[in-house]
Order: sequence, then C-alpha cells, then structure tokens
Amino acid sequence: MGHLVTSVAPLPLQGGGLGRFIDPFAQFLTDITNLEPVLLQLLAFGLLLGGVYALTALGLTMIFGVMDVINFAHGIFLVVGMYSVWLVSETAGISPFLGIPIAAAVLFALGVVVHILTVEPIIEAPQQNQLIATLGVLFIIQSAIEILFTPDPQQVELSLGSVQVGDVFIPLGQFYALVIALGTMLAVRAFLNRTDLGRKIRGTADNRDGARYVGINVRRINYLTFGIGAALAGVAGGSIALFQRFDPFTGETYLINAFVIVILGGLGSFPGAFVGGLIVGLIQVFGGYYLPGTTAQVLIFLLFIGTLLVKPEGLFGGAEA
Amino acid sequence: MSAIESVRDRYRTFDDGRYAPLVKGVALFGLLAALPTLIEIDVAGMELAATLSLRMLILTVIYAYTAQAWNIMSGYTGQFSFGHAAFFGVGAYATQALVVDFAVNPWIGMLVGGVLAAVYGLVIGALSFRFNLQGHYFALATLAFAELLRFVVTNMSELHGANGYFKPFPRDYGAEYGLAAFQFQSDLPYYYLIVGFLLVVTLVSWVIKNSWVGLYFFAIREDERAAASVGVPSFRYKLIGVAVSAFFTALGGAYWSMYFNTIRPDTVFALFKNVELLLPAVVGGPGTLLGPIVGSFIVTPVSEIARTTFSDINGLDRIIYGAFLVAIVIYSPRGVVSWPSQARALWNRVRGDEEVSE
Repeated sequence: MGHLVTSVAPLPLQGGGLGRFIDPFAQFLTDITNLEPVLLQLLAFGLLLGGVYALTALGLTMIFGVMDVINFAHGIFLVVGMYSVWLVSETAGISPFLGIPIAAAVLFALGVVVHILTVEPIIEAPQQNQLIATLGVLFIIQSAIEILFTPDPQQVELSLGSVQVGDVFIPLGQFYALVIALGTMLAVRAFLNRTDLGRKIRGTADNRDGARYVGINVRRINYLTFGIGAALAGVAGGSIALFQRFDPFTGETYLINAFVIVILGGLGSFPGAFVGGLIVGLIQVFGGYYLPGTTAQVLIFLLFIGTLLVKPEGLFGGAEA
Repeated sequence: MSAIESVRDRYRTFDDGRYAPLVKGVALFGLLAALPTLIEIDVAGMELAATLSLRMLILTVIYAYTAQAWNIMSGYTGQFSFGHAAFFGVGAYATQALVVDFAVNPWIGMLVGGVLAAVYGLVIGALSFRFNLQGHYFALATLAFAELLRFVVTNMSELHGANGYFKPFPRDYGAEYGLAAFQFQSDLPYYYLIVGFLLVVTLVSWVIKNSWVGLYFFAIREDERAAASVGVPSFRYKLIGVAVSAFFTALGGAYWSMYFNTIRPDTVFALFKNVELLLPAVVGGPGTLLGPIVGSFIVTPVSEIARTTFSDINGLDRIIYGAFLVAIVIYSPRGVVSWPSQARALWNRVRGDEEVSE
C-alpha cells in the first residue's frame, strides 16, 4: 500500500507541536479550494485500493454473519491466494488471471478442511475458543508457507503498466483487481439472493435454530459458508498479487482492515463491505499523502471504535445476508 | 481401594479446613521459589536446566502474572478482553519514558503506568459498557483500542516513534544495581521479583474471589440481567474489574521493560501480544485462581522449547505451537485445571458401570 503513495511526490514532514495535527488539514483544504490535480489522482488511488479492501472483507463478513465466528485465519487465507496465483504462473506458466479461479478452488478446499478440523468441533463452545483455534490455524499455515517458499517477498511476473486518463494515471494491475472485486461481489450477491442454496445460507444467518426447524441442514451450510468465505479470500489474495509484492506476513494488515470494514459496513452486509472498503481505502490514501507516518491508521481505528460504539450494527447492518 | 479412599477423605477434610488456601498457597509459591534450584539438579546425568533455562522460567512467570491480571477482568466478570496489550504497553512505555527522559526511578514510573493504564481501561470500559457492546463486538473494540495505541505511539516522535526505548543503566537515573534500581546484574533476582509480583496479583485475585466483589463479578458473568435485577450495579463493577486488571497488567509491562533491553511499539503493543497475555488463562482455565499459573507453565515452555529444538527450520516451532493451540481449545475448552475433576467423573462412571455389571 505504501508504494501507492510514494509514487506521488511526498509532502515534507511538518514541525512539532499542535501544528502537525492542524497543518495537514489546512493543506488539504487549500488543495481543495485550488482544485489541485493531485486530488483527482488520490481519489483514483483511494477508490482502487478501496475496491480491493472491500473484496478482502467479503469472506470475513460472510463467515461472521452466517456462523458468528471471528475467523482470524482469514488474513492467511488471503496470503494462500497470493501464493497460489504466483505458483501457477511461475511453474505452469498459466496467466495469473487464470490463476485466480484456481486460487478460489484451492481455498475452498482448504476452508472446508480447516472448518472440519478446527471450527466445527467447537462451534457451540465459548467464542474466545474459536478465536484461538483460528489463530492457531493462522500460525500453522503462515509458518508452512514460510518453510516452503522462504520469508522473502515474492512477485508475480506481470508488467501491466498504466493508462493515463486526463491528468490521472491508473495502474492497470489495480484496475483489473477492482474489476474482479466488483464482479465477484455481484456474483456472490446474485448467488445469495437468487439461488436456493443462497437463500438457505441467508436463512441460517438470520436464525440458526429457525433454519434447523424448517429442515435446512445447518451443518452443510456451515461447510459451504466457510468454504465460500475462504474462496473469496483466495480471489481477493489473487487479485492483490496482480499489483503488489507479498510475503507470508502480508495478511496481517489486510486482516485488521478487513475487520474494520466488516464492522463499518455492518455484519454480513455486502453493500456495507463495499462502502466500508472504499472509506478505508480513501482514508489510507489521502491520509498517507497528507499525514505523517502511519497516522492514517490512527484515523481508521478511531472511526472503527466510533462505529462500534454508536452504531455497532454498521452503516448497512441488519437487512442483507 | 480403602487406602485410596481414606487418603481422599483426609484430603477432603483438609480442603474444607480454614487454613487450606494458606497451605496450598505456601506450597505453590514454595515450589516456584525452589524451581531455579530444582532445574539444576542432575537427573540421570541430564540437567533439566539444559532445556528449562532460568530465562524461560522468568518468561513463564511473567505470562502467568499477566494472565492472572487478565483473569480478574475477563475470567471473573466474563468481559472477554482481546486488547490487554494496550495496558501492558502503557506500563512499559510510562516506565521507560520517565526513566530515560526524566531520570525518574522505574518503581515510580511503574506506578504511574499502572494508574494511566487503569484510566485508559476505565475509558474503554465506560464507552463499551455504556454502549452495551457484547461478545465479539466487545472483543473487537478492545483490540481496536490496543491497535490504536500502537499506531499512536509509532507516530509520536516524543516517544521515540517506531524505534522505542533502550533501557538505561542504573547510574543514568542515580541508582545502583539492586532492588531500588529495578535492575540486577544476574537473572536470579529478576526471577524472585516476578514471583513476588505473581504472589501479589494472586493474593489480590484470591481476596476478590472470596469477597462480595467477587460474588458480584461472578453474578455478572453468569447472567448480567438477572444480576442487575437483584440490584448488582453491573456497570460499576465491570469498571472495577477493568481498572484493577489494567493496573496490574501495566505493572507486568513495566517489569518487562526493565528486564529486556528494548521496547518498541511492535513488541509491547504487538497484535500477537494481546494473545500471549491471555493465552495461559484460557489454556489453564479462565475464572480460576490456579489456571493462569498452570496454563503458563504449559504454554510458554512449549513455545520456547519448540523454538530452541527446531531452530534449524525457521517456522517449524510456530506450526507446533499453532497445532497445540487448536488441540487445547478443542479437547480442553474449560482449561487444564478441570482435568482432575473430569478424570474423577470418568473414574466414577467406569466404576459405576462395573458395579452395574456385577
């Protein structure tokens, strides 16, 4: 994410004192009044990043919404997606774009296995146990990747370049990632709203006991939900691999931001995840440009806490599955 | 059989007795005090110290201490905190900032850190409880408050940003090596100091548990609405739990900062620190007095031994550690300290079956 911003000329660091909190905002306002072209460029970067963020949150929000499980392994599922795409394009010479569906399939299988081995036995146990179990999965997979592929950063060989639209230039790798994100979101939404299985998943999210009474096999729905959630992480990770270098630990920052997006958008809500992703992406890009260091992340957490306190159901909470 | 039964009966009479907690406490802490000597005894030509170093014992007791502190809030009142690194880091940073930048004695810094952490805990608690956050939402909120501090500290040049602090020499704040300086030239005094810390927090926990405060805590944990309906001021007592827990966790952070050479936002406020601080309590048995201590003596050595044994393959230790975490929550969701009673139940069932078959 950092390299996004450094491609634009960095702002000199502000002095100490209160000025460092006020100056960036003053600068931001002057730029707006002067209609600086850099604003449009930042907006483009923010939207591109936000779309990918939204995609990273989809699987998390689905598992959280349907099964009420906080899946800490989601971040490492993203990383497995990245490595899958990298591996098929490196060894088999397949286009990374075709690698993304393969990543989804791999992650679906991995998700089901992880679910059977770790989550299912304790689905009724206290919630902190699920949290620790998925954290254990995170350690296992992360270290396995480290052993298999070394902790060094990897990169998919793909030079897509960028196109210029007016004064704004758009890196194509990220543009394709955004298109994939939008496409996946629409597809999953259609699946949940229009198919029988999708309706069963939504019914289970609404009321697990009720779903059981009307004859839905909740156990099977759990497998499916965890698998699809992991597959979505595969697609997200694969898309990220199109434009970013990655290592076994890349998932951590994405995981934290995905939690923020899930809460921001509302538990289980897809439009919410989309809007939440855009908000976080925009804050990160604009904050990275105007604010010193990683202060933008402070803003994101303040927003997160504010949302949790005032509107824990999120911006779009309730209605969707 | 009769011999076993008579021993058991005698233990039960002892267990009901007035001095039982005292005797058990003395036995437990006597064992802890003797451990540094015990690990150096040769057993069939093998020194335990070869695998169990003093440094590892210190780490183990540190996490026993922090888990005991976490337990006061999360084990007793049932408010699961996933953000205790916030308090731990505040304690570490207050101590180092005061001792490095103002040459204030670390003991004073530690208390300042404890108070600051308690205040931060009150803020977190007041906001979260007022807005009625529960379950996952509460856990995520506490995590967010901890991560928030990590990024705030990383971006504050006044607190040396991402570089953190390097522990000063005692003479830099006008002291000699020793208890008053909070620094020693060998590990053994450090060990006894953290055992002392553990003793204090365990005593505080015991007092809380056996007082009406503890009864209120447990009532809130079991059914908050029911507790409130019979007049337990749940909001206030949850806040008390958070503040006490935060205070003691910060003291652990202060100790950490005086034992290890450096602290950085990425170590004391780390995402994973939140887990390390609470894990022994969950493994040992949340809400029990013995659980955090027993849990830490299982969790910390496993991770340390795995690290030293499999040092040639980088990462293998965390695979083992991860598998261990998964196994422990699946097979022992109520903690290790529940094993004896479970074993007894199993034994009774087996014996009961035999009697039926006869």
